Amino acid sequence: MADRVFGYGGRVLRVDLTARRFEIEPLDPRWMKDVVGGRAANTKRLVEDLDPASDPLGPGNVLIFGVGPLTGTILPASAYFTVTARSPLTGILGDSAAGGHFGPEMKLAGFDQIVVTGCADSLLYLLITDDGVRFVPCPELAGRDVVQTTAAIREAHGDWDIQVAAIGVAGENRVRFAALVSSGNRVNGRAGMGAVMGAKRLKAIAVRGSRPVRIHDPLGLADQVRAVHRAILDHPEYEKRRRLGTTMLMQDLNRIGILPTRHFQEGLCAYVDEVSGERLASAYKVKNKSCYNCHVHCSRYYVCEGIEAEGPEFETLCGFTSRIGNRSLPFALEMNRTLNQYGMDSLAVCEIVGWLMECQEKGLVDPADVDGLRVSWGDCDSVRRLVELVAHRRGIGDALAEGATRFSKRFSEAAQKLVMQVKGLDIICGDPRGIKGYGLTYAVASRGADHLRAEPYFELTGRWEVARRRFGTEKAADRLAEEGKAALVTYSEKIALLTDSLTMCKNVGLCMDVVDLERAAGLLTAATGVKYTADALDRHFAEAVQRDFRLNRAFGVTRRDDTLPERFLREPLAEGPTRGSVVDLPRMLDDYYRLHEE
Amino acid sequence: MIRIDAARCTGCRCCEAACAFHHTGSGGRVLSRIRVVNLYEAGVDAPVVCQQCEERACLACPEDSLTIGPLGQVVVSPTLCSACGACARSCPIGAVEIVDGIPFVCDLCGGEPRCVTACTQEAIAFVPGAGGTTSLAPFAEGSARVSPSVKRARFARALGSAVRAGWGVSRG
Repeated sequence: MADRVFGYGGRVLRVDLTARRFEIEPLDPRWMKDVVGGRAANTKRLVEDLDPASDPLGPGNVLIFGVGPLTGTILPASAYFTVTARSPLTGILGDSAAGGHFGPEMKLAGFDQIVVTGCADSLLYLLITDDGVRFVPCPELAGRDVVQTTAAIREAHGDWDIQVAAIGVAGENRVRFAALVSSGNRVNGRAGMGAVMGAKRLKAIAVRGSRPVRIHDPLGLADQVRAVHRAILDHPEYEKRRRLGTTMLMQDLNRIGILPTRHFQEGLCAYVDEVSGERLASAYKVKNKSCYNCHVHCSRYYVCEGIEAEGPEFETLCGFTSRIGNRSLPFALEMNRTLNQYGMDSLAVCEIVGWLMECQEKGLVDPADVDGLRVSWGDCDSVRRLVELVAHRRGIGDALAEGATRFSKRFSEAAQKLVMQVKGLDIICGDPRGIKGYGLTYAVASRGADHLRAEPYFELTGRWEVARRRFGTEKAADRLAEEGKAALVTYSEKIALLTDSLTMCKNVGLCMDVVDLERAAGLLTAATGVKYTADALDRHFAEAVQRDFRLNRAFGVTRRDDTLPERFLREPLAEGPTRGSVVDLPRMLDDYYRLHEE
Repeated sequence: MIRIDAARCTGCRCCEAACAFHHTGSGGRVLSRIRVVNLYEAGVDAPVVCQQCEERACLACPEDSLTIGPLGQVVVSPTLCSACGACARSCPIGAVEIVDGIPFVCDLCGGEPRCVTACTQEAIAFVPGAGGTTSLAPFAEGSARVSPSVKRARFARALGSAVRAGWGVSRG
């Protein structure tokens, strides 16, 4: 293989914050070929560079920013970048991806990966430009939010093309589920990557480059991109996604009775019309927002009672409405902005809130045990105070900033069992009792309870014929069935890795089903000049799934950790279209392990 | 000329990607002749591109390498150009920038601007024959001393305050 291939930035930046030194090394295309880029490449780097015994909040943790060979090209919806490290929240593999404009800019700076180790002795940011890397001390930015930080850095360097990924006050305080935020409101939320930055005293990475992304076969790429483009614009969900983005799921999940309500005690929300994506769009949305080179424009900017921001995505909207029993949409919009300013994962926060509400209702946690804090369903003032305390680690917030799972250890087993988490990661907003493939995904996902490792959205599409062809049974397209779900998840986890490695958005790449291995092989070959086939990609990604599991074993994860909160296994929902259903997890797990041993 | 409607812009930069790719076969903002400014602090996004303005300050080229083409577009002679940067300095909104030793400025793709085709939001429109109708004089002051990036941000902020007034808010 040639030493230099097209598509890639061709370089890896290594930064040692302790010594305030950096090195730029050429990317070895042979090293990259079997992982492609993005998430899979980051995990491979982590496996090679990290001592698994390293403290996630110590200087030994390795923080990796990664993009792929198609980032910043004309392939639509491929603006993502993945941030990877050992998670301070879960202690296992941690990573989180976001769109926006940071990823493409990092690519223009000529880097496929930025690998950060060590720990600075005082708060600083990295300024990465064509002239090299500068370590810029920034005591004045302590406590500032991401939007302020971005504007301050652009102003200081007189350059409004600079892109910034920064932490807020939560990251500085090492809140274990702190996020990093870029492009104003695009959030790498999960698994505490912002806490890793904060522990390294790295306030932000600011990047600005001028190395174009060179394409091996531009006309060939253009032809294939036209096909992807058509598939997006002609998709039956296109207009709906453009209008509502992921907030469309409020009504969609409620319709099938799996919208988390009052901390997963119910799957139907009586007041969903007051807090739905439709309501947000008609009452407060002022314009669409978009990630780099995406024609779906699924994000939204809103102005509501003096508060303006971008978002929220579905998880935050549901997490701060039905999941915590709140019927005030303006409050959820306020929380979306507050959490992005502080830089905290909305799912980890809404789990703390919902868990406390349920535990206090059931008498499992006494207000006296939490510094007198009383929270009941929909109590906005208390939630507002709690969020403030957690971000600043003040009062009881200091203990809550360790996350719901750790915090719950102070209480009875009954209380601990009510934390909706797997492997220490708080569960997303989708009740697995009515989406069994998702249930399996939450149980086995290598970063903990999360849908994005596989996103088996297919089970909601009713495509019976495709299900039979791809997975050997129509049941794979039946959301309430366990049958065929291991095959679906095993397939989807490879497509999820594919989208993560192409740095594509999963809503577009996976949910809208616009790329498969065949098409990806064509895109990659045209962009890089390296011959890829669907079969080879399938093998590479199957290996990448195994690499995740091997790394987690080194962190002490066993099959016993592949489980779900008891509620989903034993307590059926009482009402609605998912009434009576629980997850038969052992059956799906048996199938899943069998498929992964072949 | 290309008319800008910043209220409709989502900041996707599809226009940039299409422009850069059409002209060079490569990817990336730096090769585009239309540049989007994302002012996250104001929620505003605005494409900035040659407005074929009344003043045509860029034509004050010491080598006479810039002329006006039949579509009203600025035409650069690579033979005469010495890449001195006078045009980039004189453009009040940062729509001309020296890239790889040559001024990059909108050439309207010969009458079929790819940025307009790429924009699914109708935030930019091709209006043939509308050159010379816009004055950029209000942006001229001090513009020779700052970078094209800063000038684009100023212009975007001015477009943005009208957009924000439409939302019923004033800050930014």
